Amino acid sequence: MTTGLEFRRVSKAFGAVQALRDVSFGVAEGEAHALVGENGAGKSTLLKILAGILRPDSGAVIWRGDHLELATPRDALERGIGMVYQEMLCFPNLSVTGNIFAGRELTRHGRLRQAEMRRRTAALLDELHLPISPTAIAESLSAAHRQLLQVARALAFDCRILVLDEPTTALTDAEADHLFTILEKLKRRGVTLLYVSHRLPEVFRLCDRITVLRDGQYVNTFGRSTIAPADVVRAMVGRDLPARAATDAAAPSAIALRVERLTRRPCFRDVTLTVGAGEIVGLFGLVGSGRSELLETIFGLFTPDAGRVDVDGRPVAPRSPREAALAGIALVPEERQRQGLFFNLTLRDNLLLPERSMRGGVLVRPARERRAAAALVEQWRIKTGGLDVAPDRLSGGNQQKVVLAKWLATDPRVLLLDEPTKGVDVGAKFEIHEIVRRQAARGAACLVVSSDLPEVLALAHRIVVMREGRIRGEVAAARASEEDVMHLATSDGGGGA
Amino acid sequence: MKRLWEIRELSTIAILVLEIAFFAWYLWPETARSHPFLNAANALLILKYSSIYGIAAVGAAIVIISGGIDLAPGAVIALTGVVMADLFVTASWPLGASVAIGLLVGLAAGLLSAALIVLARLPPFIATLGVMGIARGAAFIITEGRYFDVSSRLVGGWRPLGVPAEWVAPIVMVVLALAFQLVMTLFQWGRAVFSIGGNETAALFTGIAVGRVKASVYAISGLLAGVSGVVLVVVQGQGKADLATGYELDIIASAVVGGASLSGGRGSVVGAVLGTLIFGVLRNALPQIPGATFYDRLIVGVVVIVIVVMDQLLLTRRR
Repeated sequence: MTTGLEFRRVSKAFGAVQALRDVSFGVAEGEAHALVGENGAGKSTLLKILAGILRPDSGAVIWRGDHLELATPRDALERGIGMVYQEMLCFPNLSVTGNIFAGRELTRHGRLRQAEMRRRTAALLDELHLPISPTAIAESLSAAHRQLLQVARALAFDCRILVLDEPTTALTDAEADHLFTILEKLKRRGVTLLYVSHRLPEVFRLCDRITVLRDGQYVNTFGRSTIAPADVVRAMVGRDLPARAATDAAAPSAIALRVERLTRRPCFRDVTLTVGAGEIVGLFGLVGSGRSELLETIFGLFTPDAGRVDVDGRPVAPRSPREAALAGIALVPEERQRQGLFFNLTLRDNLLLPERSMRGGVLVRPARERRAAAALVEQWRIKTGGLDVAPDRLSGGNQQKVVLAKWLATDPRVLLLDEPTKGVDVGAKFEIHEIVRRQAARGAACLVVSSDLPEVLALAHRIVVMREGRIRGEVAAARASEEDVMHLATSDGGGGA
Repeated sequence: MKRLWEIRELSTIAILVLEIAFFAWYLWPETARSHPFLNAANALLILKYSSIYGIAAVGAAIVIISGGIDLAPGAVIALTGVVMADLFVTASWPLGASVAIGLLVGLAAGLLSAALIVLARLPPFIATLGVMGIARGAAFIITEGRYFDVSSRLVGGWRPLGVPAEWVAPIVMVVLALAFQLVMTLFQWGRAVFSIGGNETAALFTGIAVGRVKASVYAISGLLAGVSGVVLVVVQGQGKADLATGYELDIIASAVVGGASLSGGRGSVVGAVLGTLIFGVLRNALPQIPGATFYDRLIVGVVVIVIVVMDQLLLTRRR
């Protein structure tokens, strides 16, 4: 096998965070190559470098022996590198044809060649067996078709390397099957595939070789036939998984959070669950299963269509996060930079905003706040150069601890956590787990959403699984296996969709 | 604690001082007669006319810090002035009552913007563009092309609280600037405004009453534009519908020159008022230079760009 695409000593840092360190590996021309690793392992950064969105601090990307100078996404497209992203990037207001040719429209003397573009789109859709019209507006397509539209877009221009980043997260099994059929066909045609996924069964089905990244470093590349999935997991995690029973089943206790038949269409329906005081419940489900929306509705960001939420036996119907917080509910949101932090304010302000605004005082009291913020920094071991720096000076893990600490300062009765360790390094991850356990020990009810199955298994007492907006089952963490949980989260059988 | 050079207002003061020094030098009289620019009466004149912009700029700075924009102040100044002048001159109301109703009109305009932005969820640009049209239109409907001569009814030698009438507007501007500077830095409300401007989504997720705070920001901006309107009528001695045309952009420019970022989350009330003084000095001094009158607007435009570019260069170097 000749190496077609090669990463040579690629490094990239974001501030204090080293996202990639000296990553080198090769992808053979015409093979399907998987790139796997935990959240924060550096996969996305590597893909963004390949797509021309980021430039590496050092190192090179080589294709057929030539250095690729990828300064802009356009350079990558012109070199025949097509990207299919996890979040479906499309122009919802444009037609299918418009999406496929966006930025690369066919023209004659500056005029758009509409008919020609429609003709080519129709041929392409035909080839992919996609039953959609070239003139359909992208917004009207199903999630699966929008995803496949991205593949079509990549293929419309002679793409030699197709990069797919978690393309199946929003697809049903049948839809994913369709995608794989297409990908296998492309592989036979000689297209090099670089496939990023958390789902090992998919990886083993499609890919010839598997490269593992961990904490921004290259670990190893395995041939599909020479390794078992469990070994790949071990390589990804880089340690033996912590003992499962680290979290003992919580002693039966008073129910602190009760959610009853909560419904918000079209995100979730009839969700009933309870979390005891001192209990950690994991809420597992694939992206799009409605888990984040459920947390955000409990937190008052949305009004439910039906159902109720009780905290300590008293009904709460928060119409805003403020009311939810006053009722003792806290939410550590998924996107800490967009939803959790203020980069124009100091660390002190960031740490104390919820607690101070709950308390409802009029004045800012700098001396008192400095003491309180310093105590939080000390208590939750936030590594910072001081209280007056903006949070962008902190590493990802420490930023996440800031978002946690600002809510813990309010002594919440119910702690909702949405992907609390997304994109943080392993060290910070364990500290965050420890913080959650301490909150539970203090008597808080913790509901943790995570896509990271090992994390859910290690942290939670009980795991509730959601799929397509409904609760599909519940397992005790001490007895559950990854397969049990994944089965509930993905299978189309059982509960029925 | 902040180091001295990190205080953004100081660089605005430095620019103002340099500007005054430049005009003092450039306009230095050749004969021994008094300086045409650098004298107490002229300083008072600059302060008096700047206060029309400066008082509204306090509100504009707060709106911009909250991540919004208010295009209505110019029109609200005119409407407030017209209503007040109409009551005072045509209906012969006492001055105090006319002023009070004028201020209520300003507050009402601000509340209308607030409702459109917070309840109807219009983008601030569109909402305040609409309110600007409504306020200006209302002013024309009220005046029907007339103008109200306020100066003839104002009693000469009027000294509220023992302060000469000339000094009232500058004093109101300074007091409001300092008061709102304190509110923005030492009150929870001010910090909420900064947090909303820095990251509105995070502010919502943090339990800040985003809607209420944003509404109050536009209400305050309307009320302060009302104060400006009253000041303008008293200073110019007349009320008419085309007063303060285009002031909104000068006011926004002042806030930006004073350190406010149009993307929100950054800025200062005192800085915005200092910004209006920078423009006030320009407007006062340029006509005194022979042939420079026609360059007035052009120079103002260049100054805005130069100061903001310098600011950004400094900001990136600090990081």
